[in-house]
Amino acid sequence: MSDSSSAIAARARLVEALIRTGDEDRVAFRELYQLTSAKLFGITLRICGDRQAAEDVLHDVYLTIWKRAGAYEPSRASPITWLATIARNRAIDWRRAQATRRASPIEDAPAIADHAPLASEALVADEEVQLLQGCIDALEQRQRGAIRTAFFDGVTYAELAEQQNVPLGTMKSWVRRGLQKLKECLER
Amino acid sequence: MSDDTLLPPADGRDPDMMAAELALGLLDGDERGAALRRVLVEPAFAQEVELWRNRFGQWFDIWPDVAPPGTLWARVERSIAMPAAMPLPETVRRPSRWWPVATGVASAAAAALLAVVVLRPDAPVPASVVVPTQPAAPARMLVAAIDPGERGAPISAIYDPATAGLRLSAAALASADQSAELWIIGADGKPHSLGLLRANGASTLTVAAANRARIAAGATLAVSLEAPGGSPTGLPLGPVVASGKLSLV
Repeated sequence: MSDSSSAIAARARLVEALIRTGDEDRVAFRELYQLTSAKLFGITLRICGDRQAAEDVLHDVYLTIWKRAGAYEPSRASPITWLATIARNRAIDWRRAQATRRASPIEDAPAIADHAPLASEALVADEEVQLLQGCIDALEQRQRGAIRTAFFDGVTYAELAEQQNVPLGTMKSWVRRGLQKLKECLER
Repeated sequence: MSDDTLLPPADGRDPDMMAAELALGLLDGDERGAALRRVLVEPAFAQEVELWRNRFGQWFDIWPDVAPPGTLWARVERSIAMPAAMPLPETVRRPSRWWPVATGVASAAAAALLAVVVLRPDAPVPASVVVPTQPAAPARMLVAAIDPGERGAPISAIYDPATAGLRLSAAALASADQSAELWIIGADGKPHSLGLLRANGASTLTVAAANRARIAAGATLAVSLEAPGGSPTGLPLGPVVASGKLSLV
């Protein structure tokens, strides 16, 4: 089976597990957990930067998924985007509720590759990843870096500005113009 | 510098990329509140946020997997097997075991919930909500997840102090011969009726002046099942079937 057809099959399986979870099918929910927990734990671990917190948030994420799976609509988002967005939002939540910000990068979490790997376990369509990647690559390096950091580390403008040691307004300007350029490229 | 996008904009204004900023999570404080408000009142903006979420969602593919500990599934399974707590206002204050008890946590959790909820198709944006074009200092919105336990997914409630508008996502709690009535239980500990929920679809209520001060962080929204037309007594007579606490966004 080629990479793309296995990715499509994986996605179809995930959609089915998610929809059945929405019908309160516990067997399907277990399958959903098996298919996605490593991805979602990777997300909560990186953003929380703390293993215990990442586990606690992940637990909460799956309870949310259990309750809300019935709202998922396959036509509106890929299943992994829907699930991972919940995990990312919850982890960001936890992170922002902490009094102190994490000063250093997470040591525990693996680094993010610069480019998408070939789709050995891809749950999203290849071409779309490559389009986003191509448009991101076309951005000026600092804009690209800021947008990537915002996504993968879940940081705010204020934190980005602090990390890069630039005024907040400058950081906002960079990112906004980078996002505008990204939008033009994606809609081309 | 070869790339002009790093130079200050000629007219001193940045492009409006708020939808992408919200999807990325770059915003905090008032800016985030303003973005969430736009999600509620501008359908095109809400769609734009969803589009950006989907675009950036492609990046989840390169997010490295990390296997969670094997014990976590058992913990999740235990949690979903637990019968839902009686959804009475008093029991809503159950402490969260996995989050530190701190102000701001509930608010942040509610905001994340809101971010999920607003993507749902059953939450049409009411065209009738009136929002001042440029509020000088936007009052902070409040949100609550009104949890009906086993009866279904939580109802999201969003209160905008600027308009006294309270918006609730669709709920199908009442049978044909009942009305679902919404109550606010504030500092005085007494339920005050806010009105009836629509039997189908989202509800939008304008909170009466006397109740506006009661809509505050920590106050409880509760839904009871009443005779058609609502409780005639000013107090809930029927069972309370769902409740949730308000948090600041």
